[in-house]
Amino acid sequence: MRAVLTRMGPGGVRLVAALLAVVGVFAVPLVLQSTFTIKILTFAGINVIIVIGLALLFGYAGQISLGHAGFFGLGAYTSAILTTTVGLPWILGLVAGTAVAAAGGVIIAVPSLRLKGHYLAMATLGFGEIMRILFVQLRDLTGGPDGFSGIPPVSVGSLTLETSGADFTLVWVVAIVLLLLAANLGGMRPGRAMRALHGSEIGTSACGVDISRMKIVVFTISAGVAGLAGVLYAHVLGFISPTNFSLNVSIILIAMVVLGGPGSLAGAVAAAVVLSLLPFLDAFVPGVPREVSEFIQSWQHDLYGLTIILVMLFLPRGLAGGMRQLVRWIGRRPSVEGDTA
Amino acid sequence: MKNRYLALLIVLVLAFGVTLGAVGCGGDEETTTTTEEEGATETTEADGETTTTLSEEPSGDPIKVGAILSLTGPYAGLGEPEKNTIEMLVERVNSNGGINGRPLEVIIEDDATESAQTVAAASKLIDREEVVAIIGATGTGQSMAFREQVVAAEIPNVSIGGGTPITNPLSPWVFQTPWSNNIVVPFTLDYVQSKGISKVAIIADSGGFAQDGAATVEKFLPDYDIEVVAQETFEPGDTDMTAQLTSIKGSDAEAVLMWSAGSGAAVVAKNMNALEMDIPLFGSHGNARRELIEGAGAGGEGFRFAAGKVLVPESYGTDSEGYKVASQFIADYVARYGGPPDTFAGHAYDALMITVEAMRRLDADFTPQELRDEIEATSGFVGIGGTFTYSADDHNGMTVDDLVMYEVKDGAWKLAE
Amino acid sequence: MGFDEQLAQFVFAGLKSGAIYALMALGFTIVYAATGAINFAQGEFFMLGGMLAVWSLDALGVPLLLAGLLAIILTSLIAVIFEELAIRPRRDADPLALIIITIGGSMLISSLARHAFGPNELPLPPFTEGGSLHVLGALVEQQAVWLWLLTALAVAGLTILYSRTKFGLAMRASAVDREAAKLMGIDTRIVVMVTFCLAGALGAIAGVAVTPLTQTAYSVGPSIAVKGFSAAILGGLGSPLASVLGGLILGLAESLSVAALSSEFKDATAILLLLAVLFLRPEGLFRRSRREKV
Repeated sequence: MRAVLTRMGPGGVRLVAALLAVVGVFAVPLVLQSTFTIKILTFAGINVIIVIGLALLFGYAGQISLGHAGFFGLGAYTSAILTTTVGLPWILGLVAGTAVAAAGGVIIAVPSLRLKGHYLAMATLGFGEIMRILFVQLRDLTGGPDGFSGIPPVSVGSLTLETSGADFTLVWVVAIVLLLLAANLGGMRPGRAMRALHGSEIGTSACGVDISRMKIVVFTISAGVAGLAGVLYAHVLGFISPTNFSLNVSIILIAMVVLGGPGSLAGAVAAAVVLSLLPFLDAFVPGVPREVSEFIQSWQHDLYGLTIILVMLFLPRGLAGGMRQLVRWIGRRPSVEGDTA
Repeated sequence: MKNRYLALLIVLVLAFGVTLGAVGCGGDEETTTTTEEEGATETTEADGETTTTLSEEPSGDPIKVGAILSLTGPYAGLGEPEKNTIEMLVERVNSNGGINGRPLEVIIEDDATESAQTVAAASKLIDREEVVAIIGATGTGQSMAFREQVVAAEIPNVSIGGGTPITNPLSPWVFQTPWSNNIVVPFTLDYVQSKGISKVAIIADSGGFAQDGAATVEKFLPDYDIEVVAQETFEPGDTDMTAQLTSIKGSDAEAVLMWSAGSGAAVVAKNMNALEMDIPLFGSHGNARRELIEGAGAGGEGFRFAAGKVLVPESYGTDSEGYKVASQFIADYVARYGGPPDTFAGHAYDALMITVEAMRRLDADFTPQELRDEIEATSGFVGIGGTFTYSADDHNGMTVDDLVMYEVKDGAWKLAE
Repeated sequence: MGFDEQLAQFVFAGLKSGAIYALMALGFTIVYAATGAINFAQGEFFMLGGMLAVWSLDALGVPLLLAGLLAIILTSLIAVIFEELAIRPRRDADPLALIIITIGGSMLISSLARHAFGPNELPLPPFTEGGSLHVLGALVEQQAVWLWLLTALAVAGLTILYSRTKFGLAMRASAVDREAAKLMGIDTRIVVMVTFCLAGALGAIAGVAVTPLTQTAYSVGPSIAVKGFSAAILGGLGSPLASVLGGLILGLAESLSVAALSSEFKDATAILLLLAVLFLRPEGLFRRSRREKV
């Protein structure tokens, strides 16, 4: 087995894993009976998609976005308006939503080039807030604070995804594909260049990499991915409102990346799934009483805040780093004497 | 370094302990379940107190009805009396044998006056709890938000929001118990015109109910000799409307027409007082709340609005069926909660009792479709808001005869002259 | 109401919010100067000021003046605890990490407040009862005057501390170069702790002074924080005077935008100004441009 895996190389292993996952994703809705559980898992998948984009931004380019919910919303509203009010087919809504969000990414990234660290964070926060204000104020277009309803389900040609099981499958297939692309990015030249960028800007520049272009590209991809998630969200839920895209949401997304650990895609994905499912624990773990779930829901934000602080203080490498440390520690245990700790 | 971690842990434990203690004394539950078991009715209140009353033993599978109310957020003042009413009525129904022998269970969810939460709550009630009907939401925007879910799930929804879009365009599955803006607006404009006012300023929040109110005013305006000389908006939850009111003060408005059901209404009244604006302020049926009088202080005096008759029950006509029903309701409510019910308690009463009466007319295991048909067949139901008669093209069931004009005088509601 | 009177009314409304933004911007700036980090939890200090004042008044039955004082002291204490437990251990981390920690802190504090004080708005009575004052044809609430008085006192106090006292000198030295200050024998640990204490006090003063006008709730922190650091960046992070000016300018700009345009985009004004400053002149209006050394 090991020999086969080694022969395949990391890219090959990932591909096989992805294919297995896709098969699994088709099977899940058939196994799970409860519509409610399927819906929760679908939304976890949407969070995973956004977090993939954020993880790329944070881990590989060292940039932080406190306004990513803005791109999420931009994709959602664009597609919602085009398919519901204008009546265009879903595919166009998908492309337009992703493109508009990506364009938003470029618009923010270009003037932000000069900005360092927290200034960039503030600029992204400003962008996120402007988006939210627009969603609220452009009432005739977006439905205002009470939201936009009547969004049609996903449909391509004559095929319409009516059931929550079908939506689940779509969302998770997209997530897996993106995950595969993002993971393999690390091995490609742009990916290595991005990692170098995080390490040292001056050094990277000295090696002949065009940093500015790099930053813009990463930011645009990250924004486009969030927009894509927004499109899926709008059509799966059928209803969106400005609160779905608030500062709070941006912060929770960052919490997922932080918890996962910078530079670790797997960590961010795991964190996204955990944080998305936690408030609904009783739906997944049999025997957990509803009161526990309600307690978690009530204390959800306290937990988020506490998690962020504790992880930043004690686990700077996030969950992924913590896991690695744990594995290393377990591996070292047998030899106690003569251990050069 | 280690001490620091320990200190962090201790402080956090203390902090959680303090807040848990505060929670224990104050209580902020998000769901309250009123259920019963054989032989007795147990109601668990938000503060953990449980009361038990012996019943005539309703038994079998409970009939599950969902309720989506705004217990927090700008509409919290409306949601609370609604919740009180529902809990009181469920107890009463179950202590009288339930519905055709089956116990009634109402599962209440808080949507925090946020449409996104309403949608999540609806999903929970429909997919997870599998309720046969949903009452709510408190707000118009929130009611509209989960409309499609109810239609797709094919279960009836009796809304307690006051906006016109809830029943116009009509959906076979959605009913409404408050008087809709379509009725309140002409009633109010009649009164305003009769006072010789010809120039008004409109101020409304950006939520569904208020915007619908403002739009309905525009719709009916051509029928009156009234002109709108200024129009301002604010966000639900805003805490300072001085800027908007300054603009209105600078216009030649002779009265301010306010459409806002949330906490902002009190701020508008208060700010108007601080700016020494002496033109009259008119509101809507979203303002029949004690919080407004308390929050507005001196600014509340002289505030006028149209609403149903429950605030001054004599207006039903002391020998009418409506007066009997209302008096009983008021007495029960006061006995249990210490203060009289307002119009929002009334809307919840009407919504739940119309549903319950419809269920009573059906067999013990009815389908949601049958329930819908039976609700639509409601005729001459004497409720708190008025007398209801639904039909295939009227899911609101009220007329202007169910309204009166109120004025706040000396901190209490009186009939306006 | 004539145009002059209307203008005066808008100007006073602008100065009202401007004072609050100034206090918040001050809180941001002194923390930034001492640690190089933007403290997201500053908004929560504002919220705690109002909340604890209400709590002291209602739950403890303490008279209003004492309630306000207690609120300020308690908030400063909470700010110091936050600094000691959450910031200090990572004081040498890069500013990005510190921002994230303060974001987490902001979330935690506001959620705890929700559990402790409930989800609804709470009122505070004004310091003095009575009608509004007539100034230049405009009407000004008495509470607004109290707000301006407290703001002026806070700014004056801070200025004296900074320029006249030895400790203030130590603070300024640490802001310029922490390592050098340490070498000179300054205990930067104490400097940072006191800075947070002051930031907490400033936020709380703003909260206590304005709650009688606007009521308070557990969720008011983040929006006031955004305005606050928009003001700080507008004026120029790191300089107390610039931050105060930034706050006043932001308040006036917002108010005049309502007068000139419509009330709908009031909040957008702050954000647009923030973005404009960040993209065009990141060092702020009142600071000299500093070229970044490679």
